[in-house]
Amino acid sequence: MTQKELHAQRLLNEAREASARLHTRRHFLKDCAFGFGSLALGSLLQSCGLGGSGAPAANLFDPAHPLLPKLPQFAAKAKSVIYLHMAGAPSQLELFDYKPELMKLDGQDCPPSLLEGKRFAFIRGVPKMLGPQARFAQYGQSGVWISDNLPHLSGIVDEISFLKAVTTDQFNHAPAQLLMHTGGPRLGRPSMGSWVTYGLGTENQNLPGFVVLTSGGKFPDAGKSVWGSGFLPSVYQGVQCRSEGDPVLFINDPKGMDRDLRKASINAINKVNEEEYQEYNDPEILSRISQYEMAYRMQMSVPKVMDITKEPQYIHDMYGTKPGEAHFANNVLLARKLVEKGVRFVQLFDWGWDSHGTDQSLSIDVGLINKCRQTDKAVTALILDLKQRGLLEDTLVVWGGEFGRTPMMENREGKQNPFKGRDHHTEAFTIWMAGGGIRKGTSYGETDNIGYSSISGKVTAFDIQATILNQLGFDHEKFTYQFQGRPFRLTDVHGKVIQEIIA
Amino acid sequence: MKFFSLQKLMIAAIVVMGVGAWWLFKPSAKIDFSTEVKPILNKKCITCHGGVRQKSGFSLLFRDEALAKAESGKYPIVPGDPNASELVRRIHSKDPEERMPYHSEPLSEQEINILTEWIKQGAQWGEHWAYVPVQEVALPKPSTSFFGLFSPSKPAWVKNDIDYFIYDQLQQRKLDPSPVTEKPTLLRRVSMDLTGLPPSDHLAQQFLQDNSRKSYENLVDSLLASPAYGERWTAMWMDLARYADTKGYERDANRDIWHYRDWLIKAFNADKPYNEFLTEQIAGDLLPNATDDQFIATAFHRNTMTNDEGGTDNEEFRTAAIVDRVNTTWEALMGTTFACVQCHSHPYDPFKHDEYYKFMAFFNNSRDEDTEADYPLLRHFSGSDSAKLVAVVNWLREKGFKGEAAKTYRFLKTWEPTYNSLTTDHFINSELNDTKWLAMRTPSSARLKNVVLDRRSELIYRYIGFVPGGTITIRLDNVNGPVLLSTSIKPTKDWELVKLPFTQVQGTHDLYFIYNNPSLKDPKASGIMFDWFYFTRPLPGQSLPGYDSTNKNFWQVLSAKNIPVTPIMVDNPPEMFRHTYVFERGNWLVKGDEVKPAVPKSLGALPKGAPNNRLGLAQWLTDKRNPLTARTMVNRLWEQLFGTGLVETLEDMGTQGAEPTHRQLLDYLAWQFMNRYNWSIKKLLKELVLSATYTQDSRVSKEALEKDPLNKFYARGPRVRFSAEQVRDQALAVSGLLSPKMYGPSVMPWQPAGIWMSPWNGYTWTRSEGEDQYRRAIYTFWKRTAPYPSMISFDGVGREVCMPRRIRTNTPLQALVTLNDSVYLEASRYFAYRMQREAKSRNAEDLINKGYELAMYKPIAPGKLKALMELYATALQAFTKDKDKTCEMIGTNNEHNDPGTAALVVVANAILNLDELVTKS
Repeated sequence: MTQKELHAQRLLNEAREASARLHTRRHFLKDCAFGFGSLALGSLLQSCGLGGSGAPAANLFDPAHPLLPKLPQFAAKAKSVIYLHMAGAPSQLELFDYKPELMKLDGQDCPPSLLEGKRFAFIRGVPKMLGPQARFAQYGQSGVWISDNLPHLSGIVDEISFLKAVTTDQFNHAPAQLLMHTGGPRLGRPSMGSWVTYGLGTENQNLPGFVVLTSGGKFPDAGKSVWGSGFLPSVYQGVQCRSEGDPVLFINDPKGMDRDLRKASINAINKVNEEEYQEYNDPEILSRISQYEMAYRMQMSVPKVMDITKEPQYIHDMYGTKPGEAHFANNVLLARKLVEKGVRFVQLFDWGWDSHGTDQSLSIDVGLINKCRQTDKAVTALILDLKQRGLLEDTLVVWGGEFGRTPMMENREGKQNPFKGRDHHTEAFTIWMAGGGIRKGTSYGETDNIGYSSISGKVTAFDIQATILNQLGFDHEKFTYQFQGRPFRLTDVHGKVIQEIIA
Repeated sequence: MKFFSLQKLMIAAIVVMGVGAWWLFKPSAKIDFSTEVKPILNKKCITCHGGVRQKSGFSLLFRDEALAKAESGKYPIVPGDPNASELVRRIHSKDPEERMPYHSEPLSEQEINILTEWIKQGAQWGEHWAYVPVQEVALPKPSTSFFGLFSPSKPAWVKNDIDYFIYDQLQQRKLDPSPVTEKPTLLRRVSMDLTGLPPSDHLAQQFLQDNSRKSYENLVDSLLASPAYGERWTAMWMDLARYADTKGYERDANRDIWHYRDWLIKAFNADKPYNEFLTEQIAGDLLPNATDDQFIATAFHRNTMTNDEGGTDNEEFRTAAIVDRVNTTWEALMGTTFACVQCHSHPYDPFKHDEYYKFMAFFNNSRDEDTEADYPLLRHFSGSDSAKLVAVVNWLREKGFKGEAAKTYRFLKTWEPTYNSLTTDHFINSELNDTKWLAMRTPSSARLKNVVLDRRSELIYRYIGFVPGGTITIRLDNVNGPVLLSTSIKPTKDWELVKLPFTQVQGTHDLYFIYNNPSLKDPKASGIMFDWFYFTRPLPGQSLPGYDSTNKNFWQVLSAKNIPVTPIMVDNPPEMFRHTYVFERGNWLVKGDEVKPAVPKSLGALPKGAPNNRLGLAQWLTDKRNPLTARTMVNRLWEQLFGTGLVETLEDMGTQGAEPTHRQLLDYLAWQFMNRYNWSIKKLLKELVLSATYTQDSRVSKEALEKDPLNKFYARGPRVRFSAEQVRDQALAVSGLLSPKMYGPSVMPWQPAGIWMSPWNGYTWTRSEGEDQYRRAIYTFWKRTAPYPSMISFDGVGREVCMPRRIRTNTPLQALVTLNDSVYLEASRYFAYRMQREAKSRNAEDLINKGYELAMYKPIAPGKLKALMELYATALQAFTKDKDKTCEMIGTNNEHNDPGTAALVVVANAILNLDELVTKS
């Protein structure tokens, strides 16, 4: 090629690049017909091995309108996700994984074969086996075993797919929670909700796209990083809606500023900004104007959607809400309301499931039962309520913890705990999914006789993430963000969609 | 590169041909690897035949690999002989199973011709521009005649050399540059850019009233000399250094490392040359007679995270920190993404897998081991401790013990090099308590490996004795080996130091620590816990006068308590040397070949005579032949002023990064930075802000906007939103609340309740008092797992790892911060009071005029005034009707408690929210 031709080609490339950018910007503003498909995917598809063009892999998002809705890679079965995370890790052995054999071993020394080469968070020496501390029966047409700790959920098992052989490689809370939600046990990676809002934007521009609700008195151990945006732009981090203070940080006007005055003030700001735009022609000014308008609308819509007092009594009864408290049932009802209003990803964390037996509230024999009482009704109501509103079809509900609990009774530092408890367990636990194109009334994966190891249908956090993304219309291997010179994905280099539970 | 060849060509044309149409003579049909061949390889071949995958044993990343025999036994490339080259045959093949690219679109005829011709010409490899050392660049002065034979005329718009490059491209694109913007706008732009704050009244008036030609330059000089300058550039550097006031990971406990932040401020203000600035941060500890400040500078690489969570593998997180140091060094200082080389050779750039680990070897011998205390630490002595330290060292020097003086000084200042007890193993009835410290029950033992005992006869250790009674016996080589020493253990309330003599033995030994305490009845209770061990010999000069007091001073300084500390770098002495291995596929548990410290071959070698350690690395990094260091910094400074880098991807100037918009300008500036300004950042910034390019008006016509929507070619001035820090600092400054206090521990200004709710850690956000609430944003306490919310809303980054570039967004949550965050409400109140103080009357129009002028340094336009006047009227009406609301808006019942002031607070809040306020125009 001659220099001249080269130059011409370079110009052409530049022009293409410029028009692509212009197009993206406009196209995000006006129509979203091609969204991800035509533009972003080219760069999204690049990966360490799959690189194509040699051009920099830009992360295409419009900084002025980062949350406008975008189309997924392929037709989605779910439009939104409600993820109920029981922080601390609930015991699968008292809820879903029925092990009569374990009962026979109750009180006996744990066989050395289960202990050799294993590390536990707290168990030392030789612990005793602990039989199931609940009664189990089969329910529904699917005949799923459920314990009497979950009297409500047992009525709707035919809506649910249970994953009974989930495993992880992290036995401490924070890294295990991070692995579950960010695809890596360390800080710094974007959470699932951030990925989803990055990929899909949000349908309701008057509400955040990714909302986090916490209950149980504490944040999950990994802190805000489990809903952080990691290396994605910070706009994609989860917005924590709080039951105390401002429902969203800074959403309330200062005292003395009523709605009319705020309106007048935003009008004045925007009028001045319009003048500025006339002078400067900077499109960024126009987007600031619209962001202020949106902020004003958010100030209306967030408190409104966060206010559950207007819900009819039968809904309160159904969920078992406790208005005015930071209560899980309230958050579950809120989750339904938020999804109904077009929020893309609602993440709940309920703290207090860490049943070591070190005290009453954190025990298998008392604490766990209480946590079930606080949550069972609401979780069941969520499924039924979504169903009666026709929302269950495109809302994916996920329930689970960060790992499971041991079939052995915990003996902290070799001593017996005051209550019955189980230690952290990485080799088998249960997570379930419902709605959003998930098969109804099925169980996938099996554990051994005592619920220690997964023996078939083993899945990992990455598989669950891949499945969630799949239901939302993304191939988890091709949904990437360029950072530190390489494309990153939620599932890192792992993950396989769990086809067995897809309808 | 192309530029040079054109230049040479031009000269050749002139010399040989005299005048003539040189462009008719094509450059010898020499194929250029970088611009012609590499793009084809990157696009069509390297996915399967590159750094990640080498299908059929063939890779196109390096020439030696590409010329080697492939698995088939054939040679894909035979230089000079396309017909013998399998590659040529395969790209021509019609057989779909043979044709390359495999099962993809065939190459175009043109691409095939380029590759064939290139092989014919010898298949020379070329280098990506960013990996070639910076050369001096001639100015592209526009010529009014052929070939510059006549003296070029200077376009009226051009002010300095930068402008020639910009003008050249504008002309090519048929774009016209903009005139200088009006003074008030320029004043605010350059002040916010250089100091992160609006100008002081004094400076503003001086500039606005001075119509001399030098007025702008004088302003720039004053801003560069302002102490606020250092704070502003420190804010930028803190993202690169991943500065935080906590250690990260789950426990995310507090860390005192603010001395490093203060070091940055002072270094920027003193205009420490950038090469020294980097050298001290990378290897300040290894400089001869390193000062405290040089040690503090090394905290740059101690901002890595430390995992305090129990049960975590300290070696895993030590390794993670080392990896982070490598990645940060490349990304922040050399604009190159090196992280991918961790797992495999770079897919596109000339870095091999093992080169990552060779580079890592420079960092792998620092003493830090993920300890809870964050060792090594620099201990900041004051008062009598400080005097005693000097006395000890001086005494040793005076008595001729130079080496001992240096060693003693380092030990007293850093408690290094000690063996951390968390490196013990072979636990029998002992364990690492919370995986942090060796804790021993009775009876118990543990091993400390490979201790060099030659010429040592004294042990100093740090311990807690939990119970009375008990003995520690140290045996050589096994639990029943010869006794090195045995001592009874005193109970303590806290960590204490103990010094014990032992009989000298030769050689390197494993030491077995054996604890026995018959009086300790609880079999599960620990009797003793160790922090670290130090094997040494008594201070020399026992027989000399002053020995006793020196020895006493030594001990007092060594064991002094509650000494403030800063984490720093200290290297292992040879006897504690760590070996470095390649991690197979990046997995730290799967170790491959051992490697020695080295820089990647494609970027040269350490300068002659440079030591093969971090100091040598720093010398290579700041060598003028390093192609990346100056380019990266110049690009970053450009981005800070203009909103986008000359290479947009600040983090990656490699073949996968964005193409530079003005490569020659980048090189020109990099050359100037190193050679003309001797790495002076202030001089470079001055050059940048004095350019016509920078001082342009940022207004743009719709037509020009269409031509260059992102202002990549700089036909107008920069117009971008301020950073999170600038937005906050400006609001505080305009309202008059900003505290000028500099330095010191980080502060906790107002923050909504419930932001910090970490389980298992008792730290709380305790609101600072007095002026500490109104300090500049860089002083706000930065917690990694719960950063200050308004910073994050405005695109601040989490600082877990180095973030070389912030991505600007525009969101409603940002609006909510400046509308409703109490910080901004308070700023609005004080801003309103300031308007009342400084306006010529209490008349609303005068007040609003004043307010706008205080913020924007220019009179308000009539339309804008009208909008704000209407707001004032509406607010006044509302507050007049409702006294309670007035009271609430003012906050406290003070002299400002009247409807007029309340209405003015609303207006003040509106002004602080204007696009033009949060934007640099």
